[in-house]
Amino acid sequence: MKPIMLQGHERSITQIKFNREGDLLFSASKDPKPNVWYSINGERLGSYDGHSGTVWCIDVKWDSSLFISGSADQTMRIWDVETGTSNTTLEMKTSVRGVSFSYSGTMIAYTTDKMMGHNSELNIIDVREPNNVDSTPIMKTQVTPTYTKALSVLWGPLDEYVVTGHEDGSIIKWDMRTGKEIQVGQEHSKQIKDMQLSHDGMMLITASKDTTARLWDISNLEAMKMYKTDRPVNSAAISPLVDTYPHVVMGGGQEAMDVTTTSSRIGKFDARFFHLVFEEEFARVKGHFGPINSICFHPNGRGYASGGEDGYVRVHVFDDAYYQFKFDF
Amino acid sequence: MRVQGGHTPPPLSQAAAANMAKKNKAKLLDNEDDGGQEEEEPDFSDPEDFVDDITDEELLGDLLRQKPKETDGVESVIIVDGVPSVGAERLDKLKNVVRKIFKEYGTLINEFYPTNEEGKTKGYIFLEFKDRAAAEEAVRQRNNYKLDKQHTFLCNLFTDFEKYDNIPEEFVAPVPEPYKDLGNMSYYLLDENCFDQFSIIFDGGTTTAIYLNAVPEAIEIAKRERWTETYVRWSPRGTYLATFHGKGIALWGGEEFRQVQKFSHSGVQFIDFSPCEKYIVSFSPHVDQRSEEPQSIIIWDTRSGQKKRAFNAERPPIWPVFKWSSDDRYFARIWEECVSVYETPSFGLLDKKSIKVAGIKDFSWSPTDNILAYWIAEDKDVPAKVSLLSIPSREEVRTKNLFNVADCKMHWQKCGDYLCVKVARYAKAKREKTEVKYSGIYYNFEIFHMREKGIPVDSLEIKENIQAFAWEPVNNKFGIISGEPPSVSVTFFQVNKGQAPTELKKLEKRPCNNLFWSPQGQFVVLAGLRSMNGALEFIDTKDFQVMMSTEHFMATDIEWDPTGRYVASCVSWWGHKVDNAYWLWSFQGKILKRQTVDKFCQLLWRPRPPSLLSTQDIKDIKKNMKKYAANFEVQDKMRYSKASREIIEKRQKQMQTFTEYRKKIIEQFERDKEQRLRLRNGQDTDTLTSNENDYEEETVEFLVKKETVLVED
Repeated sequence: MKPIMLQGHERSITQIKFNREGDLLFSASKDPKPNVWYSINGERLGSYDGHSGTVWCIDVKWDSSLFISGSADQTMRIWDVETGTSNTTLEMKTSVRGVSFSYSGTMIAYTTDKMMGHNSELNIIDVREPNNVDSTPIMKTQVTPTYTKALSVLWGPLDEYVVTGHEDGSIIKWDMRTGKEIQVGQEHSKQIKDMQLSHDGMMLITASKDTTARLWDISNLEAMKMYKTDRPVNSAAISPLVDTYPHVVMGGGQEAMDVTTTSSRIGKFDARFFHLVFEEEFARVKGHFGPINSICFHPNGRGYASGGEDGYVRVHVFDDAYYQFKFDF
Repeated sequence: MRVQGGHTPPPLSQAAAANMAKKNKAKLLDNEDDGGQEEEEPDFSDPEDFVDDITDEELLGDLLRQKPKETDGVESVIIVDGVPSVGAERLDKLKNVVRKIFKEYGTLINEFYPTNEEGKTKGYIFLEFKDRAAAEEAVRQRNNYKLDKQHTFLCNLFTDFEKYDNIPEEFVAPVPEPYKDLGNMSYYLLDENCFDQFSIIFDGGTTTAIYLNAVPEAIEIAKRERWTETYVRWSPRGTYLATFHGKGIALWGGEEFRQVQKFSHSGVQFIDFSPCEKYIVSFSPHVDQRSEEPQSIIIWDTRSGQKKRAFNAERPPIWPVFKWSSDDRYFARIWEECVSVYETPSFGLLDKKSIKVAGIKDFSWSPTDNILAYWIAEDKDVPAKVSLLSIPSREEVRTKNLFNVADCKMHWQKCGDYLCVKVARYAKAKREKTEVKYSGIYYNFEIFHMREKGIPVDSLEIKENIQAFAWEPVNNKFGIISGEPPSVSVTFFQVNKGQAPTELKKLEKRPCNNLFWSPQGQFVVLAGLRSMNGALEFIDTKDFQVMMSTEHFMATDIEWDPTGRYVASCVSWWGHKVDNAYWLWSFQGKILKRQTVDKFCQLLWRPRPPSLLSTQDIKDIKKNMKKYAANFEVQDKMRYSKASREIIEKRQKQMQTFTEYRKKIIEQFERDKEQRLRLRNGQDTDTLTSNENDYEEETVEFLVKKETVLVED
């Protein structure tokens, strides 16, 4: 079906995210205003106005009550989803590169950039009282210089640990209480651009600049599958219908700075669908005219959305052909 | 004769000193054994029974070598024979003449004119130069110097006399090299499925691999890192793979691709095989200034590795400098307004002289006969000319004068049936100092019918700019690409006996800049390489049906396999930095394989020698093609089904493993349910529908249609 184009950002999209039910789609970009849209018709509900720099990362609480955004203006803001007002602004020393609500939604993990003599950090704060947040982290770990800087972060399934994705391609699992490293997954050779969980939180998919995406078992960080393309992968997602349609979708493309003629043909800015088990590509969706920076499945598994360097968010609903296609085995 | 002398005795050499030390040490040890007579003066004289078993050579070999010899300085002496015999009264005059002749090679240190009893010179003289190089140069330049009608100088180095004097009386036959069994060098032709091989270079040039183009998947035969330093070449019949190295060329072959030969030529850049692979020509721009011999171009015997002859090259050379006749018997090059034809295996000039052709621009050999074609540029009122010369008779079998010629290009049809000379002609020529500027260029094709009596020539005029020309390798068709982009058209012609070439088909506005004929003829690939995005068209020239119109984005090269069954399109890292890959197509343009290879550089099919089958055999095979084809199809089908069975089996296994894994995961997920509920205040959020009651109804408005209705006031 024809995708819905969401035009509301002035600069390239950095991250998009559906809420748990999938009726809302949040988008952040290099302009300072994250937006929220009705996913069904692409109508914009509103924007979260307050940041003064690129918004790198966003997350939404499971009950769609709170929305968080981390920005290059060195703040992290906690918003009321419904009213669009910012209750809390946390000041940092550097940009905020990754944010994540825990499963319960009572804690937020975030990572900060390594800049101007400050180290990259992984912090966890308690947000049980969203209107009265204590900005002192309940857990604080210095990531650099022991490891390379952490650019993305997400929580394990039961609020017990967090996983960070690093500039050198490693992923690290941390005990949320002690802040100690539990495990390191070292398979990618270049920067981790994105990490997403399966709907049950048991599997993890990582997207890397090394042109591959990998599927991991989150409980032991065992690398299970690899999806190979010929362009940097900026984002990857696992279908929520993984047991009936074991698919993953990946987005990326040649970085503009790496090509002399930025024709969309040479950049390969397509969304690519892979079979999760066979690691084989079976479909591509064209449309963006810049690299895809963020991609995710609709929580019902019947569509997906992608946000690109071109500033557009495209919301797709699958045709029947998608469900009819089967691999022989 | 001058003898170097006046040396003062040099200090003891190192070797001597070491030996002396050894002796002394032995003595000191003896003394210690005697038992601590410290005060006593050590006795350095040899014991009485001491035998000096060290020879002078051993003791001061390096000094002995420096010892002046009687013959020192002799190498700068030359003997000149054929000098007029004169009496004492005219000797001074003679000396002056001789000095004049030889002075340009260096200072004459000494001259000696032997005389007979009557006081007349003996007709030979000795001249000493300041060094050996001068003497050698004098010999080279002044040997066979004609002084006058009766007298010709014969110059020789004095040292040469000794050399020729010492030739042993009895001939000692050289010991034959032991025979090295290299295995079957043609094993690749015996592949029972007739799969072809190809080489690829990738990783930006660091890795080279050979593949067998098997169905359905290519099989790797060999893969080596740093096999070559630049690129590789197959020999024309496919026996050898040549690799380039700083020190020279290596040839590889046989089943395991072992090194079978190497040719040491420092800094080698280009090579060229003779058509029958007997010889290999290498070129290197590195020239060792000290050496006297030419080193730029070396011709080697492929099998023995022997250097056959070396030549100097003009710089920079237009490669190949030497062009070979089809049977390896002759090779030729243009040198100072001449065609120099050399013979093998003697490697001497044919009939000891070059063929003088004033104004020669280019030449080429017929690919099948010993006929050499060349063309001469216009010179004022003399028209340009294309000539065919039969070798070795040097008989001119055909010439054709041409007018208003700016340039000529010669294209032989591969079977040697036709020669097409593409003549760029001008309407106006303007002379500006040394350069000539042409305007109003148009083209003529002069087609020589080599197999007909008297070699008739047809002419075809094309007004447009010619982008490409290619003969069908067999049969009598050729194709041209003409016009200016973007309106480029492709035209196919047929050459006929006794009439002008007929136009078969014109394809207008095609996105192409190259055309590649199948080695077996009939099929042709039109390609828009590089700047034209890699558009490909597969055409059957029997009925000019476009079998497939497709593209390999940014393709840089097209390579037909030697049998004409497959086509490879490549995006080489040398030409384009991303998406480096080679794709394999059937001759009909069906895509068979898209192989992406990191920093892929080059793909070359391994050539096959000409078929040994007679025309009748080939005819018979074609007649029974259906019978064979059925057989092959069954084989192919089996291979494919085996491959797909393997894939299915692999997938089944993967799926099974995954299903088991998921089962475990789901069990774990169920076990954790309670914890999850606790974390989310008792709300079940495991599936989208698990807490449907909590959903609130919301009205969403859609803009279905926009209508503007003008309401009248």
